[in-house]
Amino acid sequence: MALPNKVLPGFSATLYCQPTATPTPLTTANLSVYASVSPIVITGNLIPVEAIPAFGQDDAMANFNVAGSRQSDKIPTQAAPTSMTITAAWNPADTNLLLIRGDAYSGTVDRTFVISASDGTGIVNYAFNGRVGQFTVDPNPTAEAKCTFTIHPRGNQYGWSNNA
Amino acid sequence: MKLSEAIELLTSTYQSLDAAALGLPVDAKEVADALAKANPDSAEYVALQALAKVNPYENTKKEKVIQNDDTNK
Repeated sequence: MALPNKVLPGFSATLYCQPTATPTPLTTANLSVYASVSPIVITGNLIPVEAIPAFGQDDAMANFNVAGSRQSDKIPTQAAPTSMTITAAWNPADTNLLLIRGDAYSGTVDRTFVISASDGTGIVNYAFNGRVGQFTVDPNPTAEAKCTFTIHPRGNQYGWSNNA
Repeated sequence: MKLSEAIELLTSTYQSLDAAALGLPVDAKEVADALAKANPDSAEYVALQALAKVNPYENTKKEKVIQNDDTNK
Protein backbone atom coordinates (compact mmCIF):
# COMPACT_ATOMS: atom_id res chain seq x y z
CA MET A 1 0.00 0.00 0.00
CA ALA A 2 1.33 3.48 -0.82
CA LEU A 3 2.59 5.61 2.02
CA PRO A 4 0.76 8.87 2.86
CA ASN A 5 2.17 11.40 0.40
CA LYS A 6 2.78 14.17 2.91
CA VAL A 7 5.02 15.20 5.76
CA LEU A 8 3.34 14.41 9.05
CA PRO A 9 3.41 17.80 10.82
CA GLY A 10 4.10 17.19 14.48
CA PHE A 11 3.19 13.54 14.65
CA SER A 12 3.24 11.48 17.81
CA ALA A 13 4.73 8.00 18.09
CA THR A 14 3.40 5.39 20.47
CA LEU A 15 4.68 1.94 21.39
CA TYR A 16 2.34 -1.03 21.61
CA CYS A 17 3.03 -4.67 22.43
CA GLN A 18 1.19 -7.87 21.67
CA PRO A 19 -0.81 -9.03 24.72
CA THR A 20 -0.63 -12.28 26.73
CA ALA A 21 2.34 -14.00 28.36
CA THR A 22 2.79 -16.50 25.51
CA PRO A 23 2.14 -14.56 22.30
CA THR A 24 2.45 -15.87 18.77
CA PRO A 25 4.34 -13.15 16.92
CA LEU A 26 3.19 -12.08 13.47
CA THR A 27 5.02 -13.70 10.56
CA THR A 28 7.36 -11.58 8.46
CA ALA A 29 4.77 -11.07 5.71
CA ASN A 30 2.03 -10.11 8.17
CA LEU A 31 4.25 -7.46 9.79
CA SER A 32 3.73 -5.41 6.59
CA VAL A 33 -0.05 -5.85 6.53
CA TYR A 34 -2.02 -3.02 8.15
CA ALA A 35 -5.01 -5.26 8.84
CA SER A 36 -2.79 -7.68 10.78
CA VAL A 37 -0.89 -5.02 12.70
CA SER A 38 -3.73 -2.63 13.61
CA PRO A 39 -5.42 -5.02 16.11
CA ILE A 40 -2.28 -4.64 18.26
CA VAL A 41 -2.54 -0.84 18.10
CA ILE A 42 -5.19 -0.44 20.82
CA THR A 43 -5.13 1.40 24.15
CA GLY A 44 -4.98 -1.83 26.15
CA ASN A 45 -1.65 -2.74 24.56
CA LEU A 46 0.00 0.65 25.05
CA ILE A 47 3.37 0.75 26.82
CA PRO A 48 3.68 3.98 28.85
CA VAL A 49 7.12 5.00 27.59
CA GLU A 50 8.62 8.45 28.06
CA ALA A 51 10.02 8.69 24.54
CA ILE A 52 10.36 6.37 21.59
CA PRO A 53 14.07 5.74 20.99
CA ALA A 54 15.71 5.65 17.59
CA PHE A 55 14.86 2.53 15.65
CA GLY A 56 16.12 0.99 12.44
CA GLN A 57 19.32 -0.78 11.62
CA ASP A 58 23.06 -0.37 11.68
CA ASP A 59 26.06 -1.94 10.01
CA ALA A 60 27.25 -5.28 11.30
CA MET A 61 30.52 -7.09 10.91
CA ALA A 62 31.89 -10.53 11.57
CA ASN A 63 35.44 -11.04 12.80
CA PHE A 64 37.40 -14.13 11.84
CA ASN A 65 40.62 -15.09 13.53
CA VAL A 66 43.12 -17.67 12.33
CA ALA A 67 45.48 -19.06 14.95
CA GLY A 68 49.01 -17.85 14.31
CA SER A 69 47.93 -15.21 11.80
CA ARG A 70 49.11 -11.65 12.43
CA GLN A 71 45.82 -10.08 11.43
CA SER A 72 42.16 -11.06 11.70
CA ASP A 73 39.64 -10.69 8.92
CA LYS A 74 36.68 -8.31 9.10
CA ILE A 75 33.83 -9.29 6.80
CA PRO A 76 30.85 -6.93 6.40
CA THR A 77 27.56 -8.75 6.94
CA GLN A 78 23.89 -7.83 6.63
CA ALA A 79 22.96 -4.81 8.72
CA ALA A 80 21.82 -5.64 12.24
CA PRO A 81 18.63 -4.19 13.76
CA THR A 82 19.17 -1.56 16.42
CA SER A 83 18.39 -2.56 19.98
CA MET A 84 16.06 -0.12 21.70
CA THR A 85 16.59 0.92 25.30
CA ILE A 86 13.34 2.37 26.60
CA THR A 87 12.53 4.25 29.79
CA ALA A 88 9.03 4.20 31.28
CA ALA A 89 7.48 5.41 34.52
CA TRP A 90 7.43 2.34 36.75
CA ASN A 91 3.91 1.32 37.66
CA PRO A 92 3.95 -2.13 39.30
CA ALA A 93 0.27 -2.57 38.41
CA ASP A 94 0.65 -1.90 34.68
CA THR A 95 -0.15 -5.15 32.85
CA ASN A 96 2.05 -4.41 29.86
CA LEU A 97 5.10 -3.44 31.93
CA LEU A 98 4.66 -6.71 33.83
CA LEU A 99 4.59 -8.56 30.51
CA ILE A 100 7.83 -6.84 29.51
CA ARG A 101 9.38 -7.74 32.86
CA GLY A 102 8.31 -11.37 32.40
CA ASP A 103 9.83 -11.38 28.90
CA ALA A 104 13.10 -10.03 30.31
CA TYR A 105 13.27 -12.83 32.90
CA SER A 106 12.52 -15.43 30.23
CA GLY A 107 14.73 -14.01 27.49
CA THR A 108 13.18 -16.31 24.89
CA VAL A 109 9.72 -14.83 24.41
CA ASP A 110 9.25 -13.48 20.89
CA ARG A 111 6.64 -10.73 20.81
CA THR A 112 5.38 -8.35 18.15
CA PHE A 113 5.88 -4.68 18.99
CA VAL A 114 4.42 -1.81 17.01
CA ILE A 115 5.54 1.80 16.86
CA SER A 116 2.59 3.75 15.54
CA ALA A 117 3.20 7.28 14.24
CA SER A 118 0.16 9.45 13.64
CA ASP A 119 -0.72 13.07 12.96
CA GLY A 120 -4.36 12.43 13.82
CA THR A 121 -5.51 11.05 10.46
CA GLY A 122 -2.53 9.41 8.75
CA ILE A 123 -1.12 6.40 10.59
CA VAL A 124 2.19 4.72 9.80
CA ASN A 125 2.99 1.53 11.69
CA TYR A 126 6.44 0.02 12.12
CA ALA A 127 5.94 -3.52 13.40
CA PHE A 128 8.74 -5.83 14.48
CA ASN A 129 9.30 -8.98 16.48
CA GLY A 130 11.67 -8.74 19.39
CA ARG A 131 12.89 -10.14 22.67
CA VAL A 132 13.37 -8.17 25.86
CA GLY A 133 16.91 -8.46 27.16
CA GLN A 134 17.07 -6.23 30.23
CA PHE A 135 14.70 -4.78 32.81
CA THR A 136 15.79 -2.55 35.69
CA VAL A 137 13.89 -0.32 38.08
CA ASP A 138 15.42 2.95 39.27
CA PRO A 139 13.96 3.71 42.70
CA ASN A 140 15.67 7.11 43.09
CA PRO A 141 13.75 8.88 45.90
CA THR A 142 14.26 12.33 44.35
CA ALA A 143 12.13 11.49 41.30
CA GLU A 144 9.35 9.15 40.29
CA ALA A 145 10.43 5.53 39.93
CA LYS A 146 11.42 4.59 36.42
CA CYS A 147 11.99 1.29 34.71
CA THR A 148 14.36 0.73 31.83
CA PHE A 149 14.20 -2.16 29.43
CA THR A 150 15.88 -3.11 26.15
CA ILE A 151 14.10 -4.69 23.20
CA HIS A 152 16.30 -6.57 20.76
CA PRO A 153 14.50 -6.82 17.40
CA ARG A 154 14.88 -10.15 15.57
CA GLY A 155 16.73 -9.93 12.27
CA ASN A 156 14.56 -9.39 9.15
CA GLN A 157 11.35 -9.56 11.17
CA TYR A 158 9.95 -6.07 10.59
CA GLY A 159 7.44 -4.40 8.33
CA TRP A 160 5.88 -1.06 7.51
CA SER A 161 2.21 -0.47 6.88
CA ASN A 162 -0.14 2.50 6.78
CA ASN A 163 -3.80 3.42 6.65
CA ALA A 164 -3.74 5.62 3.50
CA MET B 1 6.82 -25.47 -7.32
CA LYS B 2 3.17 -24.45 -7.18
CA LEU B 3 2.55 -20.75 -6.57
CA SER B 4 0.07 -21.51 -3.78
CA GLU B 5 2.73 -23.56 -1.95
CA ALA B 6 5.26 -20.76 -2.30
CA ILE B 7 2.77 -18.19 -0.98
CA GLU B 8 1.86 -20.42 1.96
CA LEU B 9 5.54 -20.84 2.82
CA LEU B 10 6.30 -17.13 2.58
CA THR B 11 3.27 -16.04 4.60
CA SER B 12 4.13 -18.41 7.44
CA THR B 13 7.89 -17.89 7.65
CA TYR B 14 9.86 -15.76 10.11
CA GLN B 15 12.84 -15.59 7.73
CA SER B 16 13.77 -12.75 5.41
CA LEU B 17 11.20 -12.82 2.59
CA ASP B 18 13.77 -11.82 -0.03
CA ALA B 19 16.11 -14.62 1.01
CA ALA B 20 13.32 -17.20 1.24
CA ALA B 21 11.90 -16.22 -2.16
CA LEU B 22 15.27 -16.94 -3.80
CA GLY B 23 14.82 -20.62 -3.06
CA LEU B 24 11.28 -20.88 -4.43
CA PRO B 25 11.19 -21.50 -8.19
CA VAL B 26 7.84 -20.30 -9.52
CA ASP B 27 6.45 -19.16 -12.87
CA ALA B 28 7.04 -15.41 -13.33
CA LYS B 29 3.87 -14.86 -15.37
CA GLU B 30 1.77 -16.67 -12.79
CA VAL B 31 3.27 -14.41 -10.10
CA ALA B 32 2.58 -11.25 -12.13
CA ASP B 33 -1.03 -12.29 -12.79
CA ALA B 34 -1.65 -13.15 -9.14
CA LEU B 35 -0.04 -9.90 -7.99
CA ALA B 36 -2.36 -7.88 -10.24
CA LYS B 37 -5.40 -9.54 -8.64
CA ALA B 38 -4.20 -9.60 -5.00
CA ASN B 39 -5.49 -7.34 -2.25
CA PRO B 40 -2.67 -4.85 -1.44
CA ASP B 41 -3.37 -5.11 2.30
CA SER B 42 -2.86 -8.86 2.60
CA ALA B 43 -0.02 -11.21 3.50
CA GLU B 44 -0.40 -12.87 0.08
CA TYR B 45 0.35 -9.56 -1.63
CA VAL B 46 3.53 -9.09 0.45
CA ALA B 47 4.62 -12.65 -0.40
CA LEU B 48 3.87 -12.12 -4.12
CA GLN B 49 5.89 -8.91 -4.09
CA ALA B 50 8.89 -10.84 -2.75
CA LEU B 51 8.41 -13.51 -5.43
CA ALA B 52 8.02 -10.89 -8.18
CA LYS B 53 11.30 -9.30 -7.13
CA VAL B 54 13.27 -12.49 -7.86
CA ASN B 55 11.01 -13.64 -10.74
CA PRO B 56 10.53 -10.50 -12.86
CA TYR B 57 8.03 -10.95 -15.67
CA GLU B 58 8.39 -9.08 -18.96
CA ASN B 59 5.70 -9.13 -21.58
CA THR B 60 7.94 -9.90 -24.58
CA LYS B 61 4.99 -10.14 -26.95
CA LYS B 62 4.12 -6.48 -26.40
CA GLU B 63 7.72 -5.40 -26.93
CA LYS B 64 7.89 -7.19 -30.30
CA VAL B 65 4.84 -5.31 -31.53
CA ILE B 66 6.43 -1.99 -30.65
CA GLN B 67 9.73 -2.93 -32.34
CA ASN B 68 8.04 -3.87 -35.62
CA ASP B 69 5.83 -0.81 -35.67
CA ASP B 70 6.82 1.34 -38.67
CA THR B 71 3.98 3.80 -38.43
CA ASN B 72 5.79 5.80 -35.72
CA LYS B 73 2.57 6.09 -33.72
